[in-house]
Amino acid sequence: MFGFNGNASAAAVADIPKRTGLPAAGGEDADREPHQGAHVELLQSWMSLAEMQQRVIRTLVVEIQQTSGFVEKEADDLSGRFQRLALSAQQQTGRVNSLTELASCIEVDGKAVKIEEIAVLLKDTLGDVVEKILLLSKDSMSMVYALSEVNANVVNVEKCMAQLEQINSTTNMLALNARIEAERAGAAGVTFRVVADEVRELSKATHALSVTMRSELKAVTEGIATGNATLQRVATVDLSNNILAKERLEVLLGALLRRGNVLEGIVAEAVSEAGLISADVDGMITGLQFQDRARQRLEHVIDALSVIGEALEVNRQNTAGVAPELRELAPSDMAWVTGLLNRFTMSEMRSRFAAELLRGTPDAEAHREAVNDGAQGSIELF
Amino acid sequence: MQVQFQENDARVNISGEFTFTDHAAFRDVACRLFQAKGDTIVIDLSQLQFIDSAGLGMLLLARDEASKSTRKLVLSRPQGQVRRMFTVTKFDELFTIQA
Repeated sequence: MFGFNGNASAAAVADIPKRTGLPAAGGEDADREPHQGAHVELLQSWMSLAEMQQRVIRTLVVEIQQTSGFVEKEADDLSGRFQRLALSAQQQTGRVNSLTELASCIEVDGKAVKIEEIAVLLKDTLGDVVEKILLLSKDSMSMVYALSEVNANVVNVEKCMAQLEQINSTTNMLALNARIEAERAGAAGVTFRVVADEVRELSKATHALSVTMRSELKAVTEGIATGNATLQRVATVDLSNNILAKERLEVLLGALLRRGNVLEGIVAEAVSEAGLISADVDGMITGLQFQDRARQRLEHVIDALSVIGEALEVNRQNTAGVAPELRELAPSDMAWVTGLLNRFTMSEMRSRFAAELLRGTPDAEAHREAVNDGAQGSIELF
Repeated sequence: MQVQFQENDARVNISGEFTFTDHAAFRDVACRLFQAKGDTIVIDLSQLQFIDSAGLGMLLLARDEASKSTRKLVLSRPQGQVRRMFTVTKFDELFTIQA
């Protein structure tokens, strides 16, 4: 991929003694033999380092692949959750909008009626009731006064009736006296006796009429008394509390309207907030698409590491081909390997690197744990 | 209800409670008021503590009587419950009310 040429590399390694002035392995210059051993040892050390670097690269490649897969899965999972959250936020916005209507209207016969309209209707109705109470009170008092006048008139009529009966009694007495005097007069009093009898009959008729009138007047008086009593019961019913109920209801309606307005304001704020939440969630979903770019970059990194690893391997094999004595690797410098492992705070990652670097074989258990961790999306807290 | 006439009977102070039971007394008060000279009749309510619906009805009858004789009936300085009753019944649209 980088145009690395294995043969050219082998030639370059073979050319090391010439370029550095160092004796080639198994060289002829006896003066330089003390140095040759040191050079071989040094090159073996480099070869060991190259071999260890290859292991590190292989482990890093696996680690990056797993991490990339883990990130991709977690990002997909998060994206799905945010999409569900966005849907919930939209539904919540719809419900909050419904609350706005509930706060300002009530349903009457399938039709939405605003609370303000109800308040106006109630106010008008109560005003009408108060007006009618006033009219009723005024008319009641007018009738009370009128009946009181009629009652006084009836009393006067009763006095007249008594006078009339007195006059009739006197007339009757006069007719009786006239009849007596007519009898005394004998034949001369015949005509006078006829007149006296007629006056007496007239007096009897007047008395009968007087009795009838008194009876009728008594009925009228009783009727007026009954009506007056009934009217007084009506008029004495105090409606002042009913009138002041309008005042209390207006206060209550005012409070109800104010509460409705406050509720409407709160709901409007909630709608606005829900809209902002929806926008933020949409933005998060868009932002989560970073994982595509991250995956591509990591693939490039893996590719680069693989090329480097391959180049190291080719170089190592070429070197071993030119200088067979270098096949025998020097013991690895475990100090830096241990230092590297100690830098890992995640125990399972440290296990995988230890298995690969120290034993040269992947730790199956650690690898399985890594895969499982990725599948479950767990995060090690450290 | 207690009454006290002033200003040659053109002004009367009503105190206490004005209810249905005062209808006979109020008729006498009204008769005396309307016999007084002048264009304006004043009923001072500053000492009146309570009025019921019958009392309101009697004031409305007095207003009718005043309008028959083209005289102005003024209700003066209503307080407390009386003022609230006047406000709720919009008496200010029917009478001249002095604060």
